[in-house]
Amino acid sequence: MGSGTSIGKVRGLGPAHEGAHHWLVQRFTAVGNVVLTIWLVASIILLPDLGYATVSNWLAGPIPATAMVLLVICTFWHARLGLQVLIEDYVHEAGTKFGLIAALNLAVIGGGAFAIFSVVRLALGGAA
Amino acid sequence: MSHAFGALSGVQLSNWDHVNMANRPLSPHLQIWRWGPHMLVSILHRASGDGMAIVGLSVLVWWLGALASGPDAYATFQEIATTPVGYVVLVGLTWAFFTHLMSGLRHFVLDIGAGYELNANRIWSIASPVIAILLTAGFWAFMLTKQGVI
Repeated sequence: MGSGTSIGKVRGLGPAHEGAHHWLVQRFTAVGNVVLTIWLVASIILLPDLGYATVSNWLAGPIPATAMVLLVICTFWHARLGLQVLIEDYVHEAGTKFGLIAALNLAVIGGGAFAIFSVVRLALGGAA
Repeated sequence: MSHAFGALSGVQLSNWDHVNMANRPLSPHLQIWRWGPHMLVSILHRASGDGMAIVGLSVLVWWLGALASGPDAYATFQEIATTPVGYVVLVGLTWAFFTHLMSGLRHFVLDIGAGYELNANRIWSIASPVIAILLTAGFWAFMLTKQGVI
């Protein structure tokens, strides 16, 4: 914080003007989550059993594979936004906050990439 | 507190150098307000969402990774998922899912500016978690009946 001009004294103390975008994306991904997670729960209910053969055959189909990839993107994105807000609300030390959000980004992108790769491998017939 | 108001108490009125982020005013927190169901549903929304984000997505990643790795890995996943601890986690996740879904739908209604009347707000604050518990019970009743465990 500066000690010179009037604007310099208050700059950085106010809002960052990024809240509306974050808020909106959280809603957009929430709408996607409603559709995709209800699809997943309905699929789990409707599958005749949850054994390897049944589930892997089902998930290898084009529509379930596409829906699952979208579900991973949508839920991981939504979770990323939610956990970011959790960190920002309860971690007040700037360095720790930065480190936690960096770790969150790594976990979300890494976990999401692995999940998508798993679905693609099943769908393209690479699994044993 | 005396430190927070120090800058306003006299000779240092014009010196803002030691006013940092920690001295900024905070909004009233939980202990200020009289307890109500709208507070419970708000806390449940965050707890169920962050719980699913950490535990639920981990289980999802493990499930998909086991499917992609083959029958042996999937058998290990199934074995652990059907232990007592596994069932506690899975039931907890479905409860968190339906709770977050219901309170999330409630948020959509609030986002368009509806549902703030005291009575309506109270009713849906109570109904959201109750409906979620009923859906969780229904889901597991169906799954366990279908699997022939009950």
